[in-house]
Amino acid sequence: MTTAAQKRTTTRSVALDAAQRRALRNLRLQRAGVYALAILIAVWILLPIWLIATMAFSTQADVYAYPKQIIPVPFTTATMDFFLNYAGILDATLNSVLVALITLVLSTAIAVPAGYAISRYIFPGRNSYRLIILAVRAFPIVILAVPLAVAFLQWGMFDKVYSVALMHTALTLPTTILVVSSVFASVPVEFEEAARVFGASPARAFVRVVFPLVLPGIAASAIFTFVMSWNEVFAATLLTVRNRTLPALILYTLNKSSLQFQYAGGFFMLVPSMIFIFFIRRYLFNMWGQITK
Amino acid sequence: MAKRRFNLAPYLLILPSFIYLVLFFAWPMGRSLQLAFQKDAEILPVRAEIADDAAVVGYLPMQIEVAITDRERSEETLPNGRTRPVYWFKIAGESEDGEQVEGWVNQKYLQVQSRTESTSARVVSGEGTKEWTLDWIKRMVNDHNFMDALTTTLLLLILILPLQFALAITMALVLQARLKGSTIFLYIYAIPLGVSDLAAGLVWVNIFTQHGFLNTFLQKLGLIDSPYIFLSADNKHWMIIAIVLAEVWRATSIVMVIVVSGLQSIPDEYLEAGQLFGASLWQRLRHIILPLLRPSLQVALILRTILAFQVFAVVVALTGGRVITVLAYETYRWYDPGDTGFNNPNVAAAYAGFIMLISLAFSVIYLRTVRTQEEAASS
Repeated sequence: MTTAAQKRTTTRSVALDAAQRRALRNLRLQRAGVYALAILIAVWILLPIWLIATMAFSTQADVYAYPKQIIPVPFTTATMDFFLNYAGILDATLNSVLVALITLVLSTAIAVPAGYAISRYIFPGRNSYRLIILAVRAFPIVILAVPLAVAFLQWGMFDKVYSVALMHTALTLPTTILVVSSVFASVPVEFEEAARVFGASPARAFVRVVFPLVLPGIAASAIFTFVMSWNEVFAATLLTVRNRTLPALILYTLNKSSLQFQYAGGFFMLVPSMIFIFFIRRYLFNMWGQITK
Repeated sequence: MAKRRFNLAPYLLILPSFIYLVLFFAWPMGRSLQLAFQKDAEILPVRAEIADDAAVVGYLPMQIEVAITDRERSEETLPNGRTRPVYWFKIAGESEDGEQVEGWVNQKYLQVQSRTESTSARVVSGEGTKEWTLDWIKRMVNDHNFMDALTTTLLLLILILPLQFALAITMALVLQARLKGSTIFLYIYAIPLGVSDLAAGLVWVNIFTQHGFLNTFLQKLGLIDSPYIFLSADNKHWMIIAIVLAEVWRATSIVMVIVVSGLQSIPDEYLEAGQLFGASLWQRLRHIILPLLRPSLQVALILRTILAFQVFAVVVALTGGRVITVLAYETYRWYDPGDTGFNNPNVAAAYAGFIMLISLAFSVIYLRTVRTQEEAASS
């Protein structure tokens, strides 16, 4: 009885070993395949960026040369210099940074209390409020730009940096609120309650316990707000004439600008976004994941 | 757990955001509809008595003949102390709806031969007012670019979305495989999240332009002898292809992020169970992963569709906006007060309203389709 059972297990384990080896080989093969796919997709994303960077650091002759070379040799900053010294680019960059900073501050300042409220309180109207925010986030921004441009013109607010920032805040606010609320939701309310038990006032519990924990998440959301504003073209083009933001200026001059200007401009707009996304990459899934629920 | 006691605090906390969204969201939306459906008109209010603030008995349109049935002379004192005669006329005329209106108006609105003798007059001015109209909508629909813009926008949507979702799901599954160095892949895949549509357009101009990298590549492979002009008015299909590639390149990351967070909420046991019963990757995808991902995919689908109706800078960068036009570009062109624009915010608002309408329509269709599928599945 016992020997028969033993015999069976031993033979089975030998058979399994062979199967395991096959399975392992298949697994390795599969993994290599997934790796190849992962790298292929990475190349699909990186190659176009590399190519425009190549152009941005090539000489003027190389920008117009054909066939093209895939690395910027000789390396030069002449094309970038040409772009950055082009009339109005510096001012437009400054405008863009200012607009994005105002948007960041305004959007975060309004979103933090709202996000805290929907993550920490259950109150009548909470679900409708959440629904409104979700709906507003999905709305086409194109609709807002035209009437706001007309209204800003009437109110003497047209072509101002702060007007564009007000518009961009309307664009980013819903996303920021949802992201901030998910950041707060990730900090257990028990922490706050524990602080209260030990005699901290609600405000003190918030500042000393909750705030340090949510700070990185809120910073990530603020950076994303900055990027959204830095990238926005349509509304900025409609709302400005002289005080163009960088994307608005580049778009407006597209049909009369040279290829070097366009490539350098395209690359210049890419750089801050790439750096910022690098810093907030860990938070992206938490941020967007929560929103879809 | 959240606090359950009723208090005012949450309302105070959401108040600023609520006010902001009313000011800069609800109000412009209403104003947009007003721009699209109203026009300035002049119309003459006819009063019951001789006074500027007397009750209005009816309105008369501009440039019609009216009969003068009575008149009243009065004096008006000027700032310098002198007086001058002012006439009020009792007039009778036909309103726009064909109704007979009779009442008093000040002489300033009428053109009269003789203030003391004439028995008829012409209405020459009135008061500014807003009038409901379909003129702007008609102008939008009858514009020769409208159908082009609509069909191109829809065509782009149909071409981009399937590619985008297939790629996004692949990217998400690759990330989910937790390869060594997957954080690097994660960052690379997330880069396009921060890329603006304008920058993406310029990135692909570099590839598709006549002396660009695609031609270089094809020539190196020996497929062509001389550079081919992809982005020309004769090659609209290549322009569309370039736009599709640029959009898939730029906007797939957002779908991927939504899919990844959806995947993370699928319990590992489900996938392990599938594997245990010998389901292939395709079977697991088809019968376990995709059905469980449906809510996430639905959100991504609605989001991407609404964004696709606003596609703008990519198109302008790759085609200049003239040869291939889309709804958002038409909105811009009608608004633009510059040399190339039409400086007509009313038609621009009509376009904006139209974009909102089809966005809403598509969202409702998606939501309903998914629900009926669920009902069919449960019955």
